[in-house]
Amino acid sequence: MPSSMIEINGLVKKYGERVAVKGVSFSVQEGEIFGLLGPNGAGKTTTISILATLLPPDGGQATIGGYDLLQETKQIKPLIGFVPQELALYPTLSAWDNLAFFGRIYGLGGPALRERIAAVLDLVGLSERAGDAVQTFSGGMKRRLNITAGLIHQPRILFLDEPTVGVDPQSRNFIFEHVERLKAEGMTVLYTTHYMEEAERLCDRVAIMDEGHILALDTLKGLIGLLGGGVIYIGLPGDALERLLPPIHALSHVLAASAQDGRLKIETSDARSALLELIELCNARDVPILSLEVLEPNLESVFLHLTGKQLRD
Amino acid sequence: MLKQILALTWKDLKVFFKDLGGVAVIFLQPFMFIVIMSYALGGLFEPGEDQIQLLAVNQDRGTQAAAILRQLDEMDAFAVETTWEGQPLSREMAGKLIVDGKRNLALVFPPDFSAVLEQDPAAEERQTTKILVVVDPATSSQFVEPILGTLQGLLERTTYTAMMPKGIDYFFERLAPQTPSEQREEFKAQAQEAMSGGLLGGQEPLVTMERTVPAGMHVEEYPDAFQQNVPGYTIYGIFWIVSLLAGSVLQEKREGTFRRLLVAPMNRVVMLAGKLLPYYIINLIQLVIMLGASSLLFGMNLGHSPTGLVAVSLAAAAAATGLGVLVSALVRTEAQVGGLTVLLLLTLSALGGCFVPRFIMPAWLKTIGLVTPHAWALDAYQDLLVRGYGLLDVLPKVGVLAAFAGLFFGIGVWRFRFE
Repeated sequence: MPSSMIEINGLVKKYGERVAVKGVSFSVQEGEIFGLLGPNGAGKTTTISILATLLPPDGGQATIGGYDLLQETKQIKPLIGFVPQELALYPTLSAWDNLAFFGRIYGLGGPALRERIAAVLDLVGLSERAGDAVQTFSGGMKRRLNITAGLIHQPRILFLDEPTVGVDPQSRNFIFEHVERLKAEGMTVLYTTHYMEEAERLCDRVAIMDEGHILALDTLKGLIGLLGGGVIYIGLPGDALERLLPPIHALSHVLAASAQDGRLKIETSDARSALLELIELCNARDVPILSLEVLEPNLESVFLHLTGKQLRD
Repeated sequence: MLKQILALTWKDLKVFFKDLGGVAVIFLQPFMFIVIMSYALGGLFEPGEDQIQLLAVNQDRGTQAAAILRQLDEMDAFAVETTWEGQPLSREMAGKLIVDGKRNLALVFPPDFSAVLEQDPAAEERQTTKILVVVDPATSSQFVEPILGTLQGLLERTTYTAMMPKGIDYFFERLAPQTPSEQREEFKAQAQEAMSGGLLGGQEPLVTMERTVPAGMHVEEYPDAFQQNVPGYTIYGIFWIVSLLAGSVLQEKREGTFRRLLVAPMNRVVMLAGKLLPYYIINLIQLVIMLGASSLLFGMNLGHSPTGLVAVSLAAAAAATGLGVLVSALVRTEAQVGGLTVLLLLTLSALGGCFVPRFIMPAWLKTIGLVTPHAWALDAYQDLLVRGYGLLDVLPKVGVLAAFAGLFFGIGVWRFRFE
């Protein structure tokens, strides 16, 4: 098994005239949790659907587990587990029957299947409800079972497409712990989300996607490092913008500064210290501060910094 | 409040009209049904257009049978055919035309028909005769009985006309002016009897009608209403599996279970076949229950060929589930599932003769009916249940049904959108 479990290069997907994925490239290492972070419509689900063999790409290459995505689909399918955004379960069947069905589809059977079902139900805390129809479950229980159904055949790579949508905080935590356990067991996970905190908590590396492009790809630390110590947006009177740029550049905690939409965007090595220096400078030059916004260094602000819009826009 | 009601109404109208397929089906469905049923029943309600064709084999050595046939032919509802492709009809030819499904009913007038009607009322030995009514046993009694009733009326009128002059002569010979009133009353009664043909003894009519089936059909007794109606409604019923199957496929697509299955190591054709098989089994169970219950509860005769029945049932169920796959491939919304299945099933059932016998339909509609699996399935079941045929006789129809199944499944797989 190669150390790079997923390798994609210049992936393109079109729906008619609309290009949903525009030349996306990345690789995911074995045992890594790789996050695709972006707002709705960014192209995350399309990308994960291509990798899960659901959609044919219109361009680019990809290998999964070392196998070519287009030529060696048969070899890829047993390696992967897929948890779609929808609750892809049969609501009138019991949890046990659902898992038994998906297990049989993957060729499991007999005592091995029974043992596997019992083990995964225990893992997600649903053993006592095994015989109950799924339609009687809470939203969180359904989500947990939804993930379990993608794991029944013990895949090497798991595709999780927004697995916490519509889930209560308790079940969300349960899902996080479950994914962390999978990572500890060495599973490779590709995780799409538009929740920054999920990516921050779970992912080793994160690719930030928007409008079909990958805008940035790095470890959490690396991405946050894009903001340095944080970004300050400061609104000043029109005549002061150009006048103050050189002294701001000279401040010790400022990395870069530029005028943007009538404000100054100041990238810092330490936002708090830079803010104090800025206020001192404005007071000394008698320039009024019209507005002030400080972006703490986190994924949310990195996304805002990269796209100019909020993650949940 | 009114604004809210209007807003809700406007919203739902917009949602409804966005689904153009659903809209088309909703409006098209009743229209299609009206058109097809009106044309199908046109022959019954609009005499003169699309007449019911009756074969007539006239072996009568006299003129009375010809007179009856002429009167029948003059009626708007009937067209009497005494020749076929320029040749006078024989009983064998008429039987073959019925076996081939070209006609449903033939009247065979015996050689002594006129002689019996014109016999001397004073003759010591009363002569009677019978008209053979050769009829396809699959032909509904509701259709045959009115024809026989009409014929019976004509026979009585002809009998009366033929017998009357001789009856009156007979009375004049016997009557005398000095006859007492009691005797006169008695003679009046006798005259009435003479006019109705009963003077020659007993109440048995001079001419009776005997219903029979064409040579080659093994029918012990004329089929009852169950045998005639059950096949049609059974076929109509099994094709409703289309709605169940298409609804289930749509649900799997909507709920994402199809996406999950598509990721699994499974061929797409296998996936469709697995989706189809349970509905095929349900269809077969449906057939067993419908035919079995009709047999057990109502004593319906299931014919002489269990293997034939199995073969037709397997093929008919395959055609029904195949159509289900095709419809699943075409529909995109719940409204389309409901609308399209109702449109298709009612139209195909009507065209196929499940509601109205195909033989009373205009010729062009009968021809169109042959493009429905319903017509072939119905005909095959009628072959077995009411015509007394066996497996070999129905194999061609089984083949046609299997071809329908293959065609539906093939196009369905080709057009199926898994996403």
